[in-house]
Amino acid sequence: MQTKSVRHRGTRELAGYLPLIIFAGVLVYISVNAPNFLTLRNLELILMQSLPVVLVCAGLGVVVMAGGDDVVSGGIDLSIPATAVLSAGIAAVMLTQGWPLAVCGIAAFIACMIVGLLNAALVTRIGMTPLLTTLAMFVAVVGVNNVITSSRRINVDHPFIVALRAQDVLGIPLGIAVVAAVVAVIYFATHKTRWGLHLQAAGGGRDAAEISGLPVRRLLGQSFVLAAFTGFICGFFVLARGSGSSPGVQDNLMLEMVLATFLGAAFSARRVVTMWGAVLGAVLVAAISIGFKSMGVNVFWTGLIKGSLIVVVVAFSALAQRGR
Amino acid sequence: MSRQSAFSLEGVTKKFPGVRALDKASLDVRVGEVHGLIGENGAGKSTVIKVLAGVYQPEEGLVKIGGKTLSQVTPDTVHAEGVRFIHQELHLVPHFTVTESVFLGQELSGRLGLDTKAMREDTEAFLHDVLGVDIPSNRLIRDLTTAERKLVQIARALIDDAAKVVVFDEPTAPLASDEIETVMSAIRRLKEQDIAILYVSHYLSEITDICDRVTVFRQGKTVGVFDNITNQSGGDLVYAMVGRDIADMFPAKVDRATSPGLEVVGLGDGVSFEDISLNVEKGEVLGIAGLIGSGREELIDTIYGLRKAQTGTFQLEGEPLTIKSAAQAVSAGIVLVPRDRRHDGLVLSMTVTENATLATLNQNASLGIENRRVARERTEAQIMALDIRPPNPDAVTRLLSGGNQQKVVLARWMAKAARVFIFDDPTVGVDVGAKSEIYQLIDDLATGGACVIVSSSDPVELQGICDRIAIMMRGKIIGELQTRHLSVDELVSAITGAKEIENSTYAD
Repeated sequence: MQTKSVRHRGTRELAGYLPLIIFAGVLVYISVNAPNFLTLRNLELILMQSLPVVLVCAGLGVVVMAGGDDVVSGGIDLSIPATAVLSAGIAAVMLTQGWPLAVCGIAAFIACMIVGLLNAALVTRIGMTPLLTTLAMFVAVVGVNNVITSSRRINVDHPFIVALRAQDVLGIPLGIAVVAAVVAVIYFATHKTRWGLHLQAAGGGRDAAEISGLPVRRLLGQSFVLAAFTGFICGFFVLARGSGSSPGVQDNLMLEMVLATFLGAAFSARRVVTMWGAVLGAVLVAAISIGFKSMGVNVFWTGLIKGSLIVVVVAFSALAQRGR
Repeated sequence: MSRQSAFSLEGVTKKFPGVRALDKASLDVRVGEVHGLIGENGAGKSTVIKVLAGVYQPEEGLVKIGGKTLSQVTPDTVHAEGVRFIHQELHLVPHFTVTESVFLGQELSGRLGLDTKAMREDTEAFLHDVLGVDIPSNRLIRDLTTAERKLVQIARALIDDAAKVVVFDEPTAPLASDEIETVMSAIRRLKEQDIAILYVSHYLSEITDICDRVTVFRQGKTVGVFDNITNQSGGDLVYAMVGRDIADMFPAKVDRATSPGLEVVGLGDGVSFEDISLNVEKGEVLGIAGLIGSGREELIDTIYGLRKAQTGTFQLEGEPLTIKSAAQAVSAGIVLVPRDRRHDGLVLSMTVTENATLATLNQNASLGIENRRVARERTEAQIMALDIRPPNPDAVTRLLSGGNQQKVVLARWMAKAARVFIFDDPTVGVDVGAKSEIYQLIDDLATGGACVIVSSSDPVELQGICDRIAIMMRGKIIGELQTRHLSVDELVSAITGAKEIENSTYAD
């Protein structure tokens, strides 16, 4: 009996690593076929490109920690990319109208907080499932953004946005430094504080958390608000990466966010979604996107490949969890 | 030496619609003793725990802690008085470490964030000094044995060092018998530290083993307090617990003509049980006994096709049989009355007729359209035969009592003319009157020539209705007992592994 259950656990452990092995394989394939892939210059480019994904992944990571890693019944927030695009849209429109950066920031912040609070209220007060709530919110928020921007491209050349893309501080690109700081703060909050431990308990075992007297609903609500905040910041990096706001950015961002966050679970010793894992996952996913581009793979095929990778990652996380 | 009272309940009454769950019940637990609380399912044990926890407010009665009457009994005031509860369910986060689990909700803060070092040291010291075990504090919960998880749960309740009274609700239920001693010795150590312990359990061998005094509940009343508990007390406790009318609840045992029925050889699911061989004759009631974790529930699910069998073969009346899904089992005439009828057995929002005819829609339909009149007539006949109350085929199933719901499940399978009936804990949550009716129905099924398997956690029930009982432990059948001259105590000691099974018929 004992040996059987150990062997069983062994296969589950392996299933947890498989997404990583598959990703490593894809990356090796790319670096063999795209000659300049593994240069320092290119790695910096990958990091810069990954910044928006890193931010939304950090947000989704918090929600998954608080709600549990079951994609259907647990915590998930698909609306973060829409929130990011909304933040970018509001900032772009107001900046081109000549408003000061701070005012634009405050307006975008308020809009994003409304989205986060609505998510929190719908999920924790009314008891809707996060998946449906945030999917609906995604569609609604993208709709609002289309109204605000008239669904057209808006170029932004504000010095702050340009600096996020092009300026260095102490030899490190400013954008990377800012995102690293934001992620570090969220990492500390979720992994090194009492609040973070409670958050993880709420997602890891709701009954256990409730029995221990933790305010599970409030923690889950807070996670949605924090996620919306990462969306708010992400908006500015969306502007920086694209030199302005363009329609349709949210779709790819959502795909890469889900893929990266759940891929990240494979990095953690406990096989669960962590901040560190989500961020690494985001960088990996960006690396693959850029890799395919530099190999000259048709952009439509990239969609198929990424979609398949999501299926593989989610399938193996389901396998890894079975019987747990 | 008469020690002082740690806590007591006096004349507590708690009513629910239609029942008095507690009827002037009393309970007195003293400092430094392990006090057993026993009673059948529905005797009021869990209600009394919830009253003490402040979850239920009783209509009458006093709750005293340390001689002081509590004016308000709420979860907070009770906790402040040092009362701690070790619930039956573990409620631990699988991917948390031992330390994180112990301190969840009561973390120690350092200068910068959490003081993980202090928490780790406290956890290891507590496990070592108070509970007498060494569990590495950085191990994940999901890598611990069930007994170790139980100890972590105990440590969590007691780590603040303020506990005066600890209530254990079925602490050994999920444990295999070789793990029980680990938890028992931890409880003995707590007792030596002058903590009052209320020990609620179904397992009399454990009660007589660990308890100093025992209170017995029956139908919400305190029917006995035993002061000198020894290993010989089991018989007296059973007598007080079940009452005089135990024999009347069960149909008289008669010899029935039997012929080959369902035979299972070498069944295993690769995880929970292995090499199970069973044989139920037609006209026989076979019991399956075993603690939670013995593989009993998984075995039942596998015979009914809900779990996948890795090894083993089935034969029904001499014909080989494949069971890979519940649909295959049902079409072969094997039916299950599930333990959780609310979730698995009935669609509660449908009427009695709809539930009773769910499996036989084909017989009541022509050209795919249900003939409601036929369905209704058949159901009315079943309601008469099974004495389902209210006798209304249009009643919504949710509104029926537990026992009557159970009869609706049965009505469905009887309409199907099944050959093998499997009952999985058939009387959980069923009142005493309905119980004896269900026992009579089980007996009637066997007399009518069906094979009947009863899997149950209630030894009294198994002894009362079965002809033979197979005992499971840690995924294996360790013996079979004939019930004709078997006492409940003998059965309980066999199930808990307290005594080796003699004269086992399993060997041949």
